[in-house]
Amino acid sequence: MEILVCIKQVPDDSEDIRLDNVDKVTRVVNAFDTYALEMAARCKEANGGSVTVATIGDDSAVTELKSCLAVGAQKAFLIKDPAFAEYDSVAKAKILAAAIGKIEEANGAKFDIIFCGKEATDFAKGMVGIQLASELGVGVTTDVVAVDPVDGGVSVKQETETGYNVIEMATPCVVTIQKPDYDPRYPTIKSKMAARKATINEVEVAVDDAGSLTKVLKLYEPPKKQAGIKIQEETVADSTIRAVAIMAEAKVL
Amino acid sequence: MDFAEYKDILVVLELDEGKPVNVSLENIAAAKAVANGGKVIAVAVASEEGAKVAIEYGADSAIVIEGDQFGTYNGDVLADAVAQIAAEVKPAAIFTGATATGKDLVPRVAAKLAAGAVADATGVKLDDAGNIVFTVPAYAGNVLTDVVIDTVRPQIASIRGGSVPKAEPEAGKAGEIVKKGITVADDQIRIKIKETVKEITESVNLEEAEVIVAGGRGMGSAENFMKLQELADLMGGVIGCTRPAMESGWISRAHQVGQSGKIVAPKLYFAFGISGATQHVSGMIGSGYIVAINKDEDAPIFDVADVGIVGNALDVLPIMIEEIKKLK
Repeated sequence: MEILVCIKQVPDDSEDIRLDNVDKVTRVVNAFDTYALEMAARCKEANGGSVTVATIGDDSAVTELKSCLAVGAQKAFLIKDPAFAEYDSVAKAKILAAAIGKIEEANGAKFDIIFCGKEATDFAKGMVGIQLASELGVGVTTDVVAVDPVDGGVSVKQETETGYNVIEMATPCVVTIQKPDYDPRYPTIKSKMAARKATINEVEVAVDDAGSLTKVLKLYEPPKKQAGIKIQEETVADSTIRAVAIMAEAKVL
Repeated sequence: MDFAEYKDILVVLELDEGKPVNVSLENIAAAKAVANGGKVIAVAVASEEGAKVAIEYGADSAIVIEGDQFGTYNGDVLADAVAQIAAEVKPAAIFTGATATGKDLVPRVAAKLAAGAVADATGVKLDDAGNIVFTVPAYAGNVLTDVVIDTVRPQIASIRGGSVPKAEPEAGKAGEIVKKGITVADDQIRIKIKETVKEITESVNLEEAEVIVAGGRGMGSAENFMKLQELADLMGGVIGCTRPAMESGWISRAHQVGQSGKIVAPKLYFAFGISGATQHVSGMIGSGYIVAINKDEDAPIFDVADVGIVGNALDVLPIMIEEIKKLK
């Protein structure tokens, strides 16, 4: 199975992200994309083929692409676009769709399945995967937690509110990945060393109609909540009694 | 594109046994707030009852989709049906709830109509030019963005539950209900649902709960975790949990709050033994009043709490239940 995993570089959401520090927060691979990569790597290990990762960005994304090479990907492509931060999901889907053609040419093989995270931890829209499928004219299933090949396509397990659906799609197709019940693998010293030396391929695409349809007017911080009260009396009972009194006064009980 | 031709707002209802879920009723109120002289038209799949309820909650009229392809939600099928309706109605906007299916539907419809879309909006208002300004949270709610779609119509959005309060219903309110038989062409359906499995039989309505009593790793065991039920019952609330509590097998996934679970906004949220990782906090930061109990005084959950108790969750819980009982 020839697999592409689309990744996004995001500010590390385990850090305290504020409007005034967001540019300084360490960049990491979006968590849901790491789950997608792990699932793709297991899929490749079970069924053969290869895993390619790609992202739209500038040179700074080379670090994230290399980190993917250390945990299951064999090839990495940077879709270089200096204006990438300006694009909305539709524009990104159009760029990815155009780039995929070029990556397939460079790889000498067509992708059977394209994995995306179900959403990114920064803007959490969850739209690019679906819009990419539409650009490619292929099927897409969201919230996927397992992928298995079947004759002429794939069978995927989609998490739902009350259980799961088993869905079949012809290949090529797109899946957007929800967190499965396993964690992504860690790199080994050997895989890290190899990734450091690996070449990151670059592709550039000219998309005539990449115009974003949504426009961000402003970013701002939500109104500050009044600072809360932290209670630590001598005994837990005293603390609890005081807390309940405060809650009663706030009329929340 | 002549924007003047695009007037009305379609609200695609999510139905539970034929009735609109809470967020769908809220979507009607949101649509009314930005209708700008246009009509609010509810769209219900195969449920005249759902259409009637939507009208009672403020929709001007409703369209009931009929056809034998509309059983279990299939994004390709419903998106095509909504796109067919939009081609006729020419709506200024299409709203739906930011549920798992709503978030799946919105980009599919937007792609079919080459329209702009936003996901998970928490507020709507009109700008001077008549565009809808959507408030959309970013970075787990630490930052807000104002987003417009000002070059195309319709403006498509999923709107988060708890963002815009639903209206008071007007029993028996009149409104036209149009039944519409729709067929979706085979070449538009690229996903085949082979099987739908129900694993979680309990009905957990986290999104509509006014009180959530949530527990995390600090509860220590399944047995201890279930002690939260007494407080939940006392408060008329629902049990919530963090991903680690769910992964430990203490409680089912239906209760999970956070990035890979539900986004909730109850009036009152109890966090017992929850440290406050972003992955969890992003799902409950919109709560009206947050009570946190953690033995680590530096736990980040205290940064978002209205009242925090530094102490072992298991010690605090029984005392809190007794104290609240005294007040009731």
